[in-house]
Amino acid sequence: MNGEQEARARAIALAVFISAAFFVLASQLFFLQVIRGWEYKRQARAVTRRELPIPAQRGEIFDRRNDFPLVVNQDSFAVDLMPAEVPAASRTQVLERLAQVLGLPTEEVHKRVPEKYYHLYQPIEIKGGVAFETIAYLAEHLSDFPGVTWHNKPIRNYLVPGSLAHLLGYVGDITREEIQILYNQGYAFGSVLGKSGVEKQYDRLLRGKDGKRFQMVDVTEKYLAKRPDEDIPPEPGNNLVLTIDRRIQLLCEKALGPRIGSVVVLKPSSGEVLALVSYPYFDPNLFFTPAATEEFNRLSLDPSFPFLNRAIQSVYPPASAFKMVVSTALVEEEAFPLTRKVLCTGQIQYGDRVFRCWRKTGHGPLDFFGGLAQSCDVYFYTVGDLLGVERLSYYARDFGLGQPTGIDLPGEVGGFVPTPEWKEKVHHMKWLGGDTLNMSIGQGYMAVSPLQMANVVALIANEGRVYRPNVLLQVRDAASGAVLQRASPELLHVSAVRRETFQTVQQAMRQVITEGTANVVITTKAVEVAGKTGTGEAGFEEQWHSWFAAYAPYQTERPEERVVVVVMVEAVNTWEWWAPKAADVIFQGIFAKQTFEEAVETLRPWWYLEERRKEAARVSTDEEIR
Amino acid sequence: MKRVTALGFDFILLAAALLLLAFGILFIYSSGVSVVGGRSSTGEFLKQLAWAGSGLLLLVGVILVNHARLRDLSVYLYGLMILLLLLTRFVGREVHGARSWLGIGEFGIQPSEFAKITTILMLAVYLTGIGKGIRELPRFLLGLAIVLLPVGLILLQPDMGTALVYFPIFLFMSFAAGARMRHLAYLLSAGLGMVVLAVLPHYSLWLLGREAGLLAALTGFGLARYILAALAVVTALSAWGYWGFKRRYFYWIFYAVSLVFACLTGAMLINRVLKPYQIMRFIVFLDPQVDPQGAGWNLLQSVTAVGSGGFAGKGFLKGTQSHYQFLPQQSTDFIFSILAEEWGFLGGLLVFALFLVILLRGIRIMYIARDDYGMYVAAGVVGMIFFHVVINIGMAMGIMPITGIPLFFLSYGGSSLWTALIGVGLLLDIYFRRYGH
Repeated sequence: MNGEQEARARAIALAVFISAAFFVLASQLFFLQVIRGWEYKRQARAVTRRELPIPAQRGEIFDRRNDFPLVVNQDSFAVDLMPAEVPAASRTQVLERLAQVLGLPTEEVHKRVPEKYYHLYQPIEIKGGVAFETIAYLAEHLSDFPGVTWHNKPIRNYLVPGSLAHLLGYVGDITREEIQILYNQGYAFGSVLGKSGVEKQYDRLLRGKDGKRFQMVDVTEKYLAKRPDEDIPPEPGNNLVLTIDRRIQLLCEKALGPRIGSVVVLKPSSGEVLALVSYPYFDPNLFFTPAATEEFNRLSLDPSFPFLNRAIQSVYPPASAFKMVVSTALVEEEAFPLTRKVLCTGQIQYGDRVFRCWRKTGHGPLDFFGGLAQSCDVYFYTVGDLLGVERLSYYARDFGLGQPTGIDLPGEVGGFVPTPEWKEKVHHMKWLGGDTLNMSIGQGYMAVSPLQMANVVALIANEGRVYRPNVLLQVRDAASGAVLQRASPELLHVSAVRRETFQTVQQAMRQVITEGTANVVITTKAVEVAGKTGTGEAGFEEQWHSWFAAYAPYQTERPEERVVVVVMVEAVNTWEWWAPKAADVIFQGIFAKQTFEEAVETLRPWWYLEERRKEAARVSTDEEIR
Repeated sequence: MKRVTALGFDFILLAAALLLLAFGILFIYSSGVSVVGGRSSTGEFLKQLAWAGSGLLLLVGVILVNHARLRDLSVYLYGLMILLLLLTRFVGREVHGARSWLGIGEFGIQPSEFAKITTILMLAVYLTGIGKGIRELPRFLLGLAIVLLPVGLILLQPDMGTALVYFPIFLFMSFAAGARMRHLAYLLSAGLGMVVLAVLPHYSLWLLGREAGLLAALTGFGLARYILAALAVVTALSAWGYWGFKRRYFYWIFYAVSLVFACLTGAMLINRVLKPYQIMRFIVFLDPQVDPQGAGWNLLQSVTAVGSGGFAGKGFLKGTQSHYQFLPQQSTDFIFSILAEEWGFLGGLLVFALFLVILLRGIRIMYIARDDYGMYVAAGVVGMIFFHVVINIGMAMGIMPITGIPLFFLSYGGSSLWTALIGVGLLLDIYFRRYGH
């Protein structure tokens, strides 16, 4: 190989070597940018882009007239501080000044902005629920508050406080426990969610969908100028229209007055709940005030349990109101001729025990209609014994007792219907005939909620059909008001009992009003009422649970105008036999389209004279509060 | 003698260099654009324009001086640069922990950059001088010594990255001069072996979390002493055997054993000289996740910037990793990363193509050079540029360890730009005068 050839070979070798090296470089570039480019793009985005939520506007809640919101969102502000923007020299003064303006102790502000945050370019929320005036002050004196910013954080304003509190519920910040359960359903830290009532039940309809704001950050986490076109706008929550009629709600609230108990008004033809009152109630607006924590603790420890929605979350012995169920069983089973009379002497001997009638002097001879009208215990002991516990339990369940009605509100309880097996299993005692007798008059182990009682009446009024009670009427688009979803009546249960049986029971319930126990208190001329009183033992000497369960009109061509009213006043109150009295005013108000005051004025009931002064005083203070 | 015509000028080579220069200025401008407040710091970009202008004047100057004249000056230039390197060692300005800058008033230069050129010239003189050629071992070793002198001085600064560049210069030039492959292979193996053996124990400690048994024996100071002594004895014996009995196999025994001996001693020396941060550069090169926020940061950010550029790039001035300051040293060491982020695969490929044009034109010039001196100079310049490109771009893409070697033509900095342009000037001059005097 001569020199010339060798030089040529070596030049070619170098050229090949260099080209090969460049091929390797180009391959690596291709691998990084083309094959794995997408991965690196995502990575680059992850380190340069921060995702901030834009809270969605929560839906408003209306009553069935859809003319006036029961709950709205009210503008409110939260004040933030960007620690890195506060000059180190004036940090102490700025924090002190800020604490003063916000009405916070200085230590509190220092606690929120600890020293390790001093170089942070991220806003830290110092205080929420700040009034507009304070924000205006901060805006005017911005140069005194370097690094101070604020953002909109709307709060819930319950415009019609009072007895709607249980039904509507309230909202709060999501807790650590809640987020563990709800994380996969789009909730995040900082989410606001419904804690009870409709706010909780329909949280997903109300909350909408939070939007996203993308913020570019540099290597020091400093926010950079952004491109707003990338933002995802929030979708506002839907407005809800409830079945509640706020006129009837207020009527019931006032009719019940300051007595521990509850009222249920619903339409048996569809299950729509028109009013749901539980006393005592609370003011959810207080949870958005600075004293929220104290208020919450005070209410939680209140011995009268104001958070309890007694209409659906409390159960009581149904007492004589259960006689409607026993009557249905009796008529349907033809166990005892309706016309055959039972002699009530005020008591009955059963085995070695004596069972007394509530009327110690006795009712004399009574047939079926007389028995129910007078609510004669001896009559029902007799027929209940004939029917037996199995049939009583069967009918109780047929009426929906012992299980929740499935109303669209959280926390409903199901009550209880006893059976001999249950008693043996739990109490290790045999079911005795005496237990059956007690059950026949609604005492003993049985437990029923006021809403279940309303369904019992609804089943009779509908002659065998009962609809699931519901409080949601419509879901509407927040912007356009268009109806997105309409709740249709959901048939809960169809009883196998014959229609004629129910018609007979209806007739008997009418007689309770016309010539029976409720004759003196149900005085309304506005509508024909059919119902049943109940007076339950609760361990007090001179105080009893007071039930009144009724529907009106007694007979009608248009079933949709019918309403069921159940009033339950607990035995802890001074004994006034208040349930039927309240129901009287409620029926008058509903059917004469009167307010509570007008209804009372029209009826001028005998109890009115003694109550008048006291009531008038309370009503006027209530009016002022409204 | 043929007439010098405009056609005798390598316009393609010049155009490629000028385009790269323009890209460099564009992306130095881009690296100065800060997103915060939209302000742009124009300092570096304007300075680079000035460096480019003066550098092009230098390039023209180099072409005007016939390289044959340069040949006579080479020894003096080499000597002058050695003096300057010595001076730098003692009165130089310290930047990033290395005393590599020689300040003249406001301006500063890096003699270690220009010394590359003078070393090329000196080596070219040596290869064409008395005794000619490099095939014999003593010639090879003497040639290596010419290179090792500036390398030693630069290592004292200490600036390992710059010192490394001298080896490919030597390899390219001695290869072009017809060096024996076994000599070149020995040098390459020794260099690689030293680095591998120096880094391996740290690698096993950091990444595997334990000391590797065999490696510990080879590199730990306890046992290594005896191993080195044994190797030294075998080396001496084989050398004695070769010269005493003239048997071929003694030569190869000596070759292999002395290579191992050199690698081990070299590795031990490197471990004594290298600072912990330099060791970490190798560790994070092998696995950047060892210290993603610290030593691995530069590498991870650079690879992310390059990768996120995708096929077509994010657009000029629209890079996020660079403009949000995630990418460090954007205008100097990582200029390719910002280019690849904003111009994508297409832009990167264009840069590769331009460099390849320069290098292949350089090889062609080397081959058709009229004289051996020009041929060797061209080989040296090609070796220098090649190494800079491969190391710098490889580093930006995560396939080479971080050494702080700038990307010729693109990186901000006067010394490296001038060196590159002088190199191109030399190539153009050799091409220009390829047909004789």
